Amino acid sequence: MKALLSKILLTISLVASMPLLAQDNPLRVGMSGSYFPFTFVEQDELKGFEVDVMNAIGEEMGREVQYETANFSGLFGMLQSGRIDTVANQITITEERQKAYVFSDPYVYDGAQVVTKKGNTQVQSVEDLKGKTVAVNLGSNFEDLLQELPYADQINIKTYESNLERDTALGRVDAFVMDRVSASQIIKEKPLPLELAGPTFSQIKNAYPFHDNEAGRELRDEVNQAMATLRENGTLASISEKWFGTDITQP
Amino acid sequence: MDVLNVEYMLGLVPVLLRYLPLTLQLAGIGMVFALILACLFAVVRVLRIPVLNQLTIVFISFFRGTPLLVQLFLFYYGLPQLFSALTVIDGITATIMGLTMHFAAYMAESIRAAIVGVDRSQTEAALSIGMTNGQLMRRIVLPQATRVALPTLMNYFIDMIKATSLAFTLGVTELMGATQKEAAGSFLYFEAFIVAAIMYWIVVEILSKLQNYLEIRLNKAYSR
Repeated sequence: MKALLSKILLTISLVASMPLLAQDNPLRVGMSGSYFPFTFVEQDELKGFEVDVMNAIGEEMGREVQYETANFSGLFGMLQSGRIDTVANQITITEERQKAYVFSDPYVYDGAQVVTKKGNTQVQSVEDLKGKTVAVNLGSNFEDLLQELPYADQINIKTYESNLERDTALGRVDAFVMDRVSASQIIKEKPLPLELAGPTFSQIKNAYPFHDNEAGRELRDEVNQAMATLRENGTLASISEKWFGTDITQP
Repeated sequence: MDVLNVEYMLGLVPVLLRYLPLTLQLAGIGMVFALILACLFAVVRVLRIPVLNQLTIVFISFFRGTPLLVQLFLFYYGLPQLFSALTVIDGITATIMGLTMHFAAYMAESIRAAIVGVDRSQTEAALSIGMTNGQLMRRIVLPQATRVALPTLMNYFIDMIKATSLAFTLGVTELMGATQKEAAGSFLYFEAFIVAAIMYWIVVEILSKLQNYLEIRLNKAYSR
């Protein structure tokens, strides 16, 4: 309690001296910690594909990585307000986001996938979503992908903070849309009655967003360089194999 | 239905317990600051101090009239956009600030009501035998007002403990945030969240017992 109080006072006093703070800090990376198998926690330990890749990048760059976990809906706010340097949470490159941030090279190539409760014969592909209730994660790119469909007005989109796969398994929604990779992973590893419905319907590339300023672009170039090395020496592929049984870092 | 994974739940208890102190600290510090602020507001409102009274009314109106989550987002993500130096405010501080202002707005009104609720004839009697304003407050009004305000203030404290579960949106891993992340790793949602629920529940039960005890003590003068 005392320590926390003095921390608050310290923070207040720091506000005044802010510009003097040095830039030579660890690489601050934001993630939700609740997106299996990319970033999740087991017995208090942060794990996942994103953690492994970012650790490898940090090692290659010779910089320590400091992870900040927050609800997904808070991550871009943390990036925007300069509290983190980038987000490692399967951030898809979109036009909208490119207006505000500069992106690294993609490190995951994936597609949007419809997932239904096991035995659902009504929804077999993305076309069957007409007149159905479909769950997507709040702030994720999949809502936009659904909105771009010609029959978007006939789809009832429901946004979730978390637990959308659980609600689909319970039959509260007809389907959810997520990236193929983590959807397959959920079905493979977890005791939920779900199945993939049809092929993917839009290719997506996921990368790290950085602040659109000189420091951000510089950092992005450094990360790109480290990633290129890791791609060449097979590190990226082996991390992907470890988590997904396949190489998702290639187009 | 799957069988409840009791083993997982038991394993989770020590892990989640590590985050309980932070939850209690957020609420505890928030409560101390909120009480101080609320008392100041109540005094300003009761004495109708010009200018301050109007400012207090607007403050209370805003912080009672908007959701806590909106306020937290405003402090943590909104303000640094306008004043970049405010980025130094970390999630813990922003949460405590949000809790403080939000609950101070509510508590100010119940403290004010408790003070106003002490019968005017007592004030007149006290003044008639020559008590100063300070003595009047200390000896007559505040002891009675405290007794009246205590149950609602405890209620707000209990509410505040539960409101700390919003902090993970600001990147503060407290009890709820830790539970969310563990559940994401195991997909055992029911097990994870029921463990968290029981922890909150036990804490609140202990506080309710404390409230009972305090009420009995403060009521001593009234019981026969």
